[in-house]
Amino acid sequence: MDEREILDHLPKVKAPDAIWTSIEAALNDHRSPARRPWLWAFASVAVLALLAVGYWSVRHRAGEWIETDSKSRTTLRIGEIGFVEIEPGTRVRVVTEQPGEHRLALAHGEIRATISAPPKLFFVDTASGTAIDLGCEYTLSDDELGLGLLHVTKGWVSFQWKGLESLVPAGASCRTHPKIGPGIPYFDDASQRLKDALENLGVEKSAEDPLEVILAEARVRDTLTLWHLLQRVPVGDRARVYDRIAFLTPVPDGVSREKALKLDPETLRLWKDELAWKW
Amino acid sequence: MVDLIDRQISAEIVIACRSGDRDAFRSLYDLYKDRVYSIALYFLHGDQAAASDVTQQVFLKLMTSIGDFRGDAEFSTWLYRLVVNACMDAGRRRKSDAVTTDRSHLEMLAGPASQEQDYARAQMANSVRAAVSALPPKFRIAVLLRYFDDLSYEQMAKALHCSMGTVASRLSRGHRMLADRLKGLKYG
Repeated sequence: MDEREILDHLPKVKAPDAIWTSIEAALNDHRSPARRPWLWAFASVAVLALLAVGYWSVRHRAGEWIETDSKSRTTLRIGEIGFVEIEPGTRVRVVTEQPGEHRLALAHGEIRATISAPPKLFFVDTASGTAIDLGCEYTLSDDELGLGLLHVTKGWVSFQWKGLESLVPAGASCRTHPKIGPGIPYFDDASQRLKDALENLGVEKSAEDPLEVILAEARVRDTLTLWHLLQRVPVGDRARVYDRIAFLTPVPDGVSREKALKLDPETLRLWKDELAWKW
Repeated sequence: MVDLIDRQISAEIVIACRSGDRDAFRSLYDLYKDRVYSIALYFLHGDQAAASDVTQQVFLKLMTSIGDFRGDAEFSTWLYRLVVNACMDAGRRRKSDAVTTDRSHLEMLAGPASQEQDYARAQMANSVRAAVSALPPKFRIAVLLRYFDDLSYEQMAKALHCSMGTVASRLSRGHRMLADRLKGLKYG
């Protein structure tokens, strides 16, 4: 079968008229998130759920603190892009409430965010850094000491602190630490040994070498953990991490060992883009 | 054909779009919408909602960043760069993308029975779409760009952010993978 024959079976498909309607609506109100009328039929149940939440949820102004006691919870509406459920024993401040930026600060407790919007419109500051929504649903908790846990259930979250970033996809979690920032993300279905070893990284007196355990336990999917680990281990250990990733999944064109070990940003980005298909 | 279309995208249209002329933007949209939608649709395994989303994003991005288009590149190259970025981002968000190909979505793309009554041909079409869908993303997007707009290697290199050699390699390997997957299939 030659290229022409293949092409014959990939006919050009007419774009639905509803797309233009959505574009026009978005252009008319370019600060609002674009509407998707083709999803209306599928989203009706979700809309009803949101309306129900909206009925009880409350809008808050910038600067306002919201605190729940040990038995109460509340829901905070985030502009037109979603909502945040505030669990019992939580203290949160509304930092910014504008169409282009919705920002909360989590002092302690737990929140569950459900956001449907373009990336980087919703932020949550914590003692360990900032969770940046990339279109997702997630849970973020922080204790009184600032130790936190980010757990993503849909989409992606970027957790950043002073130039250090952890990218956390759905099904993965990441511990966060004050003055250290985000830890290394891991999939929730990773082996317990791998998770324990991540906790022990940097601990001087471990019974076994945590890095050795992580490398041994890592599956293809755990290249999420290894890709982050490559950038955090001492220089002398980078080759071990690189070799393990390369063993688990072919290294794509454009990624050289030399550049990866030097943590060349473009190389790491290219590699991450390729690995992310397996995460 | 691409060159002809690119020549039709005159400086006037671009300038009109920059000044917010909705009619000029609509002309651009009409010219490219089906190709952009088709590439997104086949790239995203026949997911019509996701393809609509990508198409919308591409044209909104185009409208809001048309000031960045300096006219020293062909318009389609610039547009397809937006398409590639949007498709790759959408693909990444589809968690199941790497491991599953939703044949039911792909089969929905087949024409109605009256148009594809030949069962063997319909089966063949489904197999081709499934084979394209199963290509790794970088090969898939390269193959789709080539098939839907017959871009030159140079234009594809710009759209895909890589060298012409890489484009040639991806197309060659992509087509070889397709040929392997479709080996033995003949019209009935």
